[in-house]
This record gives sequence, C-alpha cells and structure tokens, in this order.
Amino acid sequence: MTTTPTQAVHWDLHYDIHLGATWSRFMDGLRDRKILANVCPSCDRVFVPPQAYCESCFERTDRWVELPPEGSLEVFTVAWHGFRGGPTPPYAIGGIRLDGASTLLMHWVIGLDFTEPTTLLAQLPAGSRVRAVWAPQRTGQILDIAHFEPDRD
Amino acid sequence: MPPRPPRPVRRMAPVHVVGLAATPFLPEQDAMLDELVFDVTYAALRECGLRKQDLGLSVMASLDVLDGRSISSGLYTAAAGGYLNDAFRIEGDSGLAVIAAAEAVAAGDVEVAVAVGVYNPEVRSADREARRSFLAQVSNLGFEPHFDRPVGLTAEVVYALHAAHTLESGGEDLDAFARLAAEEITRGSERPRSVRTAPVTAQEVLASEQVAAPLRELMLPAHSTGAVAVVLASPARAGRCLGRSARITGFGHATGGYTWDGRWLSDPAAPTRRATRIAYGQAGISAAAEQVGLVELTAPTPALHAPYLGALGLAASLGDKDVNASGGARSNFPGLANGALRLLEVVEQLESRAGASTAVAHSVDTGTGLVSEDVSVLVVEAA
Amino acid sequence: MPYRAAVVGAGITDATSPRKQQLSAVELCQQATWAALDHAGTTPDTLDGVVVGNIDGFEGTVLGARNLTRALGLGADLPVTIINTGGTTGGNLMQVAARMVRSGSHARVLCLGGPTFFGVRDLQSAINTNSPMIIEQPLGMGAYHMGAFAANAYRQRYGLTPEDLAAVVVADHEKASRNPHAHLRYTVTEDEVVNGRPLSSPLTQPMVCPVSAAAVAMIVADADDVDDLRSTPALIRAMGMSSDPYLGGGKGDFAEMQNLATLARRVYALADVRDPAAEFDVVEIFAPYAHMQPMQLEALQLAPPGGGVELIRSGATSAGGSLPTNLSGGPKCTNAGVAGELAPYAYAALQVMGAAPEPIQVPGARRALAHGTGGTFFQFENLAIFEALPRSDA
Ligand SMILES: [Zn+2]
Repeated sequence: MTTTPTQAVHWDLHYDIHLGATWSRFMDGLRDRKILANVCPSCDRVFVPPQAYCESCFERTDRWVELPPEGSLEVFTVAWHGFRGGPTPPYAIGGIRLDGASTLLMHWVIGLDFTEPTTLLAQLPAGSRVRAVWAPQRTGQILDIAHFEPDRD
Repeated sequence: MPPRPPRPVRRMAPVHVVGLAATPFLPEQDAMLDELVFDVTYAALRECGLRKQDLGLSVMASLDVLDGRSISSGLYTAAAGGYLNDAFRIEGDSGLAVIAAAEAVAAGDVEVAVAVGVYNPEVRSADREARRSFLAQVSNLGFEPHFDRPVGLTAEVVYALHAAHTLESGGEDLDAFARLAAEEITRGSERPRSVRTAPVTAQEVLASEQVAAPLRELMLPAHSTGAVAVVLASPARAGRCLGRSARITGFGHATGGYTWDGRWLSDPAAPTRRATRIAYGQAGISAAAEQVGLVELTAPTPALHAPYLGALGLAASLGDKDVNASGGARSNFPGLANGALRLLEVVEQLESRAGASTAVAHSVDTGTGLVSEDVSVLVVEAA
Repeated sequence: MPYRAAVVGAGITDATSPRKQQLSAVELCQQATWAALDHAGTTPDTLDGVVVGNIDGFEGTVLGARNLTRALGLGADLPVTIINTGGTTGGNLMQVAARMVRSGSHARVLCLGGPTFFGVRDLQSAINTNSPMIIEQPLGMGAYHMGAFAANAYRQRYGLTPEDLAAVVVADHEKASRNPHAHLRYTVTEDEVVNGRPLSSPLTQPMVCPVSAAAVAMIVADADDVDDLRSTPALIRAMGMSSDPYLGGGKGDFAEMQNLATLARRVYALADVRDPAAEFDVVEIFAPYAHMQPMQLEALQLAPPGGGVELIRSGATSAGGSLPTNLSGGPKCTNAGVAGELAPYAYAALQVMGAAPEPIQVPGARRALAHGTGGTFFQFENLAIFEALPRSDA
C-alpha cells in the first residue's frame, strides 16, 4: 500500500472576545467573591451564569441577585485524558445547582478518590452538598472560583 | 428517459415583511453576540406586535471563524427565538437567511419566521490595521488550502484583480471609479445609518489609503458591525400584524465559480444574473426597467457597479436617487448583516417615497470576493 | 403554492479511519454525489441547488464547502447554501432542502455531507472549542465530558450498570458488522467495552464513536415530479428541529432528553403517528455515545422511561425485531462529522425506498424515523419521518 499523501495545513487565529454587559458584571462580581445571578422579570427564573434574556419568556432579564456559594452537585464526570490547551487530567467537572438558582453552574469538584474508579458515583451521589472555594488571586474569570469542595457537615 | 432541463421558474406565494430592526452600526460592538441577536429579534417582533411564541422558525446568518468559536450559533440560537423551536444557522450573508426564512413561509410550513444577521468580529476592531489583518486572514482561510491559500489570495486581492482587469480592458477609468465612490459616500453621509458621515470628493477618494492596487480605501465598503432582524409572515398572518407593510415576491440565490474558471474576471455579474432571473421569474417581472423603481445593490468595488446594475436589468432606467439612495455599501457595510440591511433600506424607501412600488435588494457575500461569490436578489413590493 | 418534498436518491461511501483513507475530501464527496445521482437515475443538470454542511473550526478551512462544491463540477452558478449547526448540520441539510422544494423555489436540491474530521490533528482540542468559552471551556469541558454528564445522571436515575451501557455498544457493533459502508465492522463483547480505556467516567473508549472519513449525499426533490427518475421516492412526511439554550447548565435534567421528547411529540402529530413503537418499520438515530441510544428511544416514546437498555437487550431493535434501530451500526460505529449526521437520514430514506445495503434492508419497510443531534451539550435536535411513495408508473 502506498502512503496517503497529505499536506500540512495550519490555522492559528487570535481573538478578543467581547464579553458584553451581562457577563462582565458576573466576572466583576467574582473578583469580590460574589456569585451574581440575574432574574427573568416574567417567570422569575434565576440564571447563573447570568443571561441577557430569558429564552423561554423572551424578555430581557433585569434584576440582579447574589447567590450563596453553596449548592447541590447534580451530576459530575471524571475526565481521565487531557487535550491540548486543557487542564491536567484526571479532573472532575460537575453541574452544580447553587441554592436559589434555576440553572446549573459547571465547575471543578475536588475531594474524589481517583484511585477508586468504580466507586466514583458512590463517593459523591447526586444531590451532594458542595461549596465554592475562592482563588487567592482573582482576575475576573470563571477560575476565580478555584473549585467546589464537598460540604461534609 | 432522457434527462430533462431544470424546471422553469415558478411564481411564488408572497411573503410579507412585518418587522425590521437593526442595532446601531458601530466600528465595534461592546456586546456579547447573543445580546446583539436578542436586541434586534426582540425589537423586530415588538414592532409588529408579535411574540417569541408566534415564531415558527429562526434562521441566523453568521460565521464561526469571525465569532471565535465552533458552532457559534449555539450561543445565540435562543436569542433569535429558537428555544424549543425550529432554528438553524447559515454561514454566509444574511440575504440567504432571509431567503431560507421566506421559503419556510412560502412552503406553508410556518406562519412567522425571523432571519437575523449578526456581525461583530471578535477582535479589537478599533485598531484598523489589526482588524484588516484579521479579516484578510479569515478570507485567506476561505480559499482552497493547497493552491490558493499559500499564495495569499484574499477577497481584497480578488476584487483588486478584477478592478485592474476592468481598467486594462478599457471599459472605465480610475477617475470614474472615484467619482462613483464619492457620489455614493456623499449621498449617504447624511443618513443616520451611515458610518462615513462626511461628504467626499473624487480627489479625496483617489488620495485615500492604498489597499490593493488599484483600489483605495474609500472605493471599498464602509466597515461597520451590528445585527439586523427581519420578521416575515404569511399574507394572512401579516394582516393581523402591526408595523411594516411590504412583501417579498421573488428571491433568487446563486453562487459563482471558483478561481480556475476565470469567469469571475471576465463576467463577474454572472451569479447576479442567475439570481435575478429566478427572483424576477418568481415575482412575475418581465420588464425590469419599467417595473422596478429603486434598488439597493452591493457592489464592493466601483468596478462592479455597472456589471451588477446591468445584470439586474436596471442599467439605463434608474436615476442616481433610485440606485443606492442610502449611499449603499460604501456608506455602511456591516459584513454578513448586509443582506438584511439592504432589505431594510428598500422597505423604508418604499414606505417613504411616493410612486415607487417595486424595489430590489441585492447583496453579496464578500468572504472570498468574486470567487464562489454568493448573491441574493430580493424583489420587494409595497403591500 | 406549496409542494411536497421527497428524497429521490442517496449515496453513501464506504467509511475508513482518516489515516487509511486514500481519497481526498473532494473525491469522497464526488463519489457520494455520483452515487446519489445514479440511485435517482438523473444527472447534475437537473439540480437547481446545493445545501452543504461545514463545521469550520473542526475542518481547518473556512467555508471549505465553497471551493469543494465547485470542484464537483455540478454546473455554473448553482446556488450553494452552507449550513453549520454542529452535530445537527447533517439532518438540517435535508430540512433546509425540503423547505426549498416545498416552497416551489427549487425542484431538485443536493444535500452533501463531507468528512468533517478529515485531517484534523488535534481533534479533541478542536471539538472542545464548541463548549461555551469563557464560562465552561476553561474548565476543560469538552465534547465527551458533556456526554458523560448525561451518562452519569441517567445511570444514577435508573440504577444502570456499566454492563448495561456496554450492551448498547455490543448491539451496535453487531449491526455495523453487516453494513458494508460502516467503519468499525468488528464485533465486541460486554467485557471488552467495560474494560476499555476510560475516557470520562463512566464512558470508556469503546462507548464513544470513532473518527471516520466518508461522505454522504442525498437528493431532495419535488415528490410529484419524478417521471424521469427511477427510484421509489421517500416522501418527507414530517420534520422539525428544536433547540436548548447554550450553556450546559440550562438543561433541566441530564437524565432525560426533554428537548427531544417535545420535538418528537410535535413531529409525530404532524405525521399522525399515534403509537410510535408500532408505527415505525425502521429507526435511525444519532447516538455517538453508548448512553444516548436508550435515552433517545425513551424520549421518542419507543421505550418506557429507564427501559431503553432493556429494549435493546431484548433484540427488538435488532434486525428482525419489532423496531429495527440503527441497523447501519449508527454513529457509534461510523462518524464522519457532517457525513455521519446526514447518514441517519440517508439510511432511513434508503430503507423505505427499498434501496438500503442488502444485508441491512428491512423487508417491506414503509415508514422510517430519522434523527440528528449536536451542538454544545447536544443542545440541538432534529427529526424527520419518511414514507415510501410508490410510483404511479410502477
Ligand atoms: Zn422567563
């Protein structure tokens, strides 16, 4: 069999993503250890991460509320393999319902024993309570929350 | 059985334009893309007294590589009213999104549809050189990777090659290009949506920055960013709407050939001609010169103005005020939102001008210039 | 003046791994296009439009379809509409084409899905750019992690074991082994699947789709203007799309597919399907990960909540069963990006046309369901129902 001829093609683009008013305000809040959510004036859904609008009512969200840094872990997975530009594996990502939120916030969850892969679900069953741990230096980005840790009290 | 030729063009059921809204047009929008999409969709629905729940379909026009993410429409499908509903995104000019939305209404599949074009390249646009370099790189990536990309083809290069070819073949001279650009920019300079807000002379056009010989900065479209939403409805549903009263009676689309066929150089208006034939056929226009009263056409360089106007069958019939009354793309060109903006312009002109009852909105996708050029032609009548 | 739309031809190339593929993307697309034209019994000059899929960030090109479709030699100035909605791009191609035909503006439209992942070196990095940047991407949230969320939530809700997920994979491979166009044509055991390389818990490598190189083409035409064609048209009886919000966190419940369930109700109503499990002769769904197929069967009302795996284990979804599902082997065994997303539509249409590859043809299939899903956290869904449209001249 002949080798398949290929040619190296590369693309490399750099962006400055416009954050917009809604996410800027959320990121500013993180600097001050605040998790800010916004509220649909029509159905009272509470969005975190915040949204400029409610997709269901199609109304602009208006009111801002601060949510507690605690909630329930509804689901998680452990990533065993990394990818270029990604975090170092293994790491656990969870969907966290902060108390008072209508949506899930995605974040890292620590406190799992990765040496016991078959017991992962049992270690943190759905509904486990978790709490945000703040990064010592905060620069207005999602990793200003270092991770969530199990709240074993 | 022998193969048969393509079916003749059929008349279309008219589709009404009931809502139109645009963001302000700025060099750069300080907003997340979904905020722009939501703002115009919301405003366009409000204008005609409709709600998200009335929408049967949302069609977006945008480009991942400008938005800085794969499947970027995932970010703003819900902002276009697509939550738990039919929605899709076309990568190309918003004229195509208007056509796709109109087809769904004409098919009888939905009563109300919205088409949204959004354009705010995720790069600091205020830095003009950085922006141009980024857009040129994106354009280059749109070309074939083994032959054309390595030699640096971009939309601007293709447009310049065509303009040079036109000059050499003796049809027109550079002064004529400059005069046309100056007239359009000056005409548009007082319009609220223009981003070139001062009148200019032909001399100033000729003295403006060199882009790709023989083209100068002021001969090219006026860069802006923004979003435009168009709400379409069936005739019956439109009867119960507030707001606009215009209807699209024909819509044509064509895509030109690639570099190697050379027709983009010798006959750049061929795709426009094909799109026009379909749109006019659908609208029942047999003598455009007599039936069409105004046009907004998108000629990215002055060298394309006459060929496009000719392809639209309007070369001799319309006066200066009837062709690009807005100042056209040289007064405001919001990238992929251009097709919807040209429709907005003709609908407003139909509303404000006595006498004119049939108009044409023509738009092109400038991503790879005249190569694989995407053209949309909409025939619009006062309803 | 609305018209009816039908699939009148479909072409599917054989799939391989990108490494083993000897043809270029253009050549694969050409093969699929010619096969579709040949199946329909027509020539390129009867086409009046092309709808093609592209996922830029995954392909190393911007709108590669622009030059690709021109290279197919289908005719000057033929309009090309480029759709990009991630994993629903393939299915949406047909829906967009169907609307073009149903409006009367077009008579025959080519839908073309190319090998999206062909030639990408850092595929996982590329695919991961579709998770929400700024908010979710910095967390290392990529495509199969988003999938794994649902797998875990579903397992917890219904107490499913890794072996249950493996049973889905075993069934898919068994089917793919009989499909000449499939990529992974070997069979596997539950043990091999469970003990495969762990990816993102609970998913192992064998529970996740391969990266394939293939192309799929389909011709959508005016269903009542087929005298010059030789195929039995597959009428597009009903279709629809549905979208969830962008952020993964906007999903109400990872353990059930609510977005798909609402879409199914809407599309079934359009086609007057009242008892879905009894009324479909064949089903092709886009299930690239093991947990998806049972969850989708439930959302589509083809299995009770939590009963998807049991239905698959029972053999009902296998060849000869009461509800043959993914007889192609599905995207679990062949996933060539947009081609892979168009494949469920092509296979479902081919089944009711009586023109599926012989080893997987369901005898006498009259009505089929086709499905697509994709986007961030599988936020988009699409569905279509095909019915055989016997020719009046037959
Ligand atoms: Zn609400």
